[in-house]
Amino acid sequence: MTAQNKVGLIFFPAFDWCITPDHPEREERLLYTRDQILEEGLFDIPGIEEYRPFVAEDQYIQRAHICVPSVVQRVTEPHRIAVGGCILAADLVLNHHVDRAFALLRPPGHHAFRIVHGTRGFCTVNNEAIMAEHIRHRLGPHVRIAFVDTDAHHGDGTQDIFYNDPNILHISLHQDGRTLYPGTGFITERGGPAAYGQTINIPLPPGTGDAGILYAVEHLVLPILEEWQPDYIINSAGQDNHYSDPLTNMKFSARGYARLTEMLNPDIVVLEGGYSIEGALPYVNVGLILALAGLDYSHLQEPDWDQQRLQQSPMVDQIVIQTVDQVKKLWETRRQVDKRKLFGNEPFFTRQRTIYYDTDEIMETQLEQIRLCEHCSGWRLIYSTAIRSYGHSTKIAAVIVPWLACEQCRSAADECYQRLTDGKEKNHLHQVFYQDSERDMFLSEQLR
Amino acid sequence: MLMIGIDVGGTNTDAALLSEDKHVLATAKVPTNHQDPLTSTHTVLEKILADVSNNQPVQLHLSTTLSTNAIIEGKGEPTAVIAIPGPGINLANYGFDFPVYTVQGYIDHRGRLVRDVDKEEVLAAAKKAKVNGAQSLAVVSKFSPRNSQLETGVRDIILESGPEFHQITLGHKLSGSLNFPRRIMSAYLNTRVASQQIEFVKMLKAVIASYPNITDVRILKADGGTMTLDDSCVKPIETILSGPAASLNAALALSQYTQDNVVVVDIGGTTTDIAVVVGGKALYQRGGAVIGNYHTLVPALLTCSIGLGGDSEIHFINNQIEIGPKRAGMAICCGGEQLTPTDAAVALELTRLGDRSRAIAALEQIAYKFSLTWKELAQLIINAFTQQLSQAIDCLYHKLKQVPVYTVSEILAPPDIRPRVMVGLGGPAPVFIPLTAKRLGLPWEILPEHESANGIGAAAACSTVAITLHVDTEQELMVIPELGYKEQLCQKMLIDQPWVRKTAVEKLTAYASQIGLNDCGDVQIVEEEAFNIVRGFNTTGRIFNIRAQIRPGVYRVAGDSNC
Repeated sequence: MTAQNKVGLIFFPAFDWCITPDHPEREERLLYTRDQILEEGLFDIPGIEEYRPFVAEDQYIQRAHICVPSVVQRVTEPHRIAVGGCILAADLVLNHHVDRAFALLRPPGHHAFRIVHGTRGFCTVNNEAIMAEHIRHRLGPHVRIAFVDTDAHHGDGTQDIFYNDPNILHISLHQDGRTLYPGTGFITERGGPAAYGQTINIPLPPGTGDAGILYAVEHLVLPILEEWQPDYIINSAGQDNHYSDPLTNMKFSARGYARLTEMLNPDIVVLEGGYSIEGALPYVNVGLILALAGLDYSHLQEPDWDQQRLQQSPMVDQIVIQTVDQVKKLWETRRQVDKRKLFGNEPFFTRQRTIYYDTDEIMETQLEQIRLCEHCSGWRLIYSTAIRSYGHSTKIAAVIVPWLACEQCRSAADECYQRLTDGKEKNHLHQVFYQDSERDMFLSEQLR
Repeated sequence: MLMIGIDVGGTNTDAALLSEDKHVLATAKVPTNHQDPLTSTHTVLEKILADVSNNQPVQLHLSTTLSTNAIIEGKGEPTAVIAIPGPGINLANYGFDFPVYTVQGYIDHRGRLVRDVDKEEVLAAAKKAKVNGAQSLAVVSKFSPRNSQLETGVRDIILESGPEFHQITLGHKLSGSLNFPRRIMSAYLNTRVASQQIEFVKMLKAVIASYPNITDVRILKADGGTMTLDDSCVKPIETILSGPAASLNAALALSQYTQDNVVVVDIGGTTTDIAVVVGGKALYQRGGAVIGNYHTLVPALLTCSIGLGGDSEIHFINNQIEIGPKRAGMAICCGGEQLTPTDAAVALELTRLGDRSRAIAALEQIAYKFSLTWKELAQLIINAFTQQLSQAIDCLYHKLKQVPVYTVSEILAPPDIRPRVMVGLGGPAPVFIPLTAKRLGLPWEILPEHESANGIGAAAACSTVAITLHVDTEQELMVIPELGYKEQLCQKMLIDQPWVRKTAVEKLTAYASQIGLNDCGDVQIVEEEAFNIVRGFNTTGRIFNIRAQIRPGVYRVAGDSNC
């Protein structure tokens, strides 16, 4: 038996790391997965190669994040190893050492936003966003990357980081935000002024099973990808749509996940959530690896699999079909929308929002201004105030220069950073950040 | 006690006799009789025992190629496998080159029984195997190291009402490691060679009976340790690849570097074998031994073999010299027809062998084409050889540095495996080792060429045995697959890591003495993990995996041998 596609597997279960000993994100999480993979003999199959991650330096992380007060203060060694594993996954594919790579590792990342005050949704830094920035650094600013997030929770962090980025497409399939953390991911969230329509959310009703999810992939995700023509597809492969997951209410099976992977045919897969560590992960991960390698997964089955119990209700069928239709229409008509109506006629589009960090109990308020520029996606200024549960508050500002920024935006951003840091302005800021990922320029100034 | 080591090699059967204080007292060598290796073993034993008085007790260590050859040559008893895969990878896609009959049954990764086997189906499979010619059976279920009940169940059904087979091997008895396909192959091969080993041991015992002072006989294994004769009949698969293990043992026994990180380089005529020693212990092959096309679970020493030797072909490609991987034949200086690295070494007077003028003449013929002097060409050949060798060594260490690890601490503080010294052996070693070591910036040591190094390696081996202990306190269960041991635990709250360690050491010590290994060294915990089982927000139990081993080692053999 030889893999049809050469697969690079960066398996890093971090057996000595946990958020807290009884937290779902704990040492044991990939133990049973390791046992299943070993017992199935997957590592002996020619064409499936295992690799060891490395400890990623600050620079990789800074391209996707603004860590407050610094990368060192926010990002621990286990996070750096997970990031290093993802960078390695990308390099293996980019260097043509393998056809597909799977970063089967923890801690996860897809709930981490651009600005990082702490940990939310078990995530501190966004592994796949950092990986995408790395790919851009290697291949140049015009490379087109599509994310398909198949975690049961909305991929709100990745959506946030790239929400105004014209060369990134972000599709998230998840359990309806009205019924599950983080409570977002509605079809009306469609991206910023420079990337409108490229944020695509497919909220699925609780109880959606193989039929519903695969229907959405076939009739919505694949046609969108076909039209948008990404250079690389990254799958944020959460495994908590599984019927046995303790935190969600979906009915997806291991074989369903394998089929999804086969249909999607992603270049790189990154593990996200999934906390049915005994009943789902061992089988889903074997399914994913087999599907990526182009091997037969038809004999895969969970011990408690029961076709009848996993049948989704006719009501769910109907909602899925409706949602797919709606999202499809939104996609098809994305260019016909009058952006002035949505984003205004002012030089800047302004939005205000609050972001809750459930893991670290932080409430963040953001005021964001995006320059509506004709020549590029526009520089941005974000004011962010984080209030911790014990009352301590931090206020920062971040000046962000986008990829392929025009000269005007770049100098406006530079001026803004100067103005905020020269001390003349009474702005009560603790710290000001400057991020230019394309040029790898990351500045920060402590004011108070 | 005196020690005798005998290595039945492809060409010769070597023997060495070691004194109580591990000096080499005598060596002997006879050609191997391939039809009947026992005869040559007997002859060499006779020779080496000539000087030993009848009242001196002797322990005999034997390294055979019996199982290795049977496997490579496709010989042995016709054997079929009854496999109980449960769901997972489609077993049919593995393309095993032996008959595998699949029956239903399912054990999950925690060792819980999901579905039992069906008696009628098992009997039908056994009958089919028998009708199709199988004399012996291997029974292997997925996750049998966690729960062996399906394997034993199938065996019991067949013993009770199935057809008769010579041997039935159960997968879990061979290894506590997880890897179903490797377990299938190990169990299959073990069964195939078992009858032959049993027969061999029977005859060997008859031979030994005439030497009253031979008090004990041990068989060398792929991990460089030894096992008892009786154990070798149960697990003959472990005797494969004992020749290379004997050779590495010899290097370890004779080298003055006993506790260091060492790269051992054995340069032969056709190939060079590289082995890695860390802190005095040779590294193992990850996953287990590979023999022919079979990946097994047999613990084996890691050796990396490259096609580079004193008699290798020399290629001239785009003004570059490449050596190997094929053998050219004998060196020209020794009467061969093709130029070899040995000729270059002889011409430059790095070594003395055969007719130097013939080597120079052959070099001149080629040097002329590249406008070089013969000396320059010879030097380039030597350089190419040492460069290829040092590259291979670098490459091996680079690969080992990339071996996946699963904890943060191992990533942050990886064990230091970098070599501190190069130990060389084999005929061409004195020429190439110092130059290669210089390239790598290492000090070096060349072991004196020993007539019967492999005999010394076999003699210097210590006994080894290992067990895998799996404790699951949520299920109140402890299993040791290699012993077929299963215990229902009570007072699970009292079970902690020290208890599990202590139990592992006790069980292994008891087992070792039960199988007659009373003289063996310390039991060590070689692998260990402990996990909390959390359900909801409560800890409901703990899982412990421990591998306890009597580590293979070698007796240090004094270098000032007088033979």
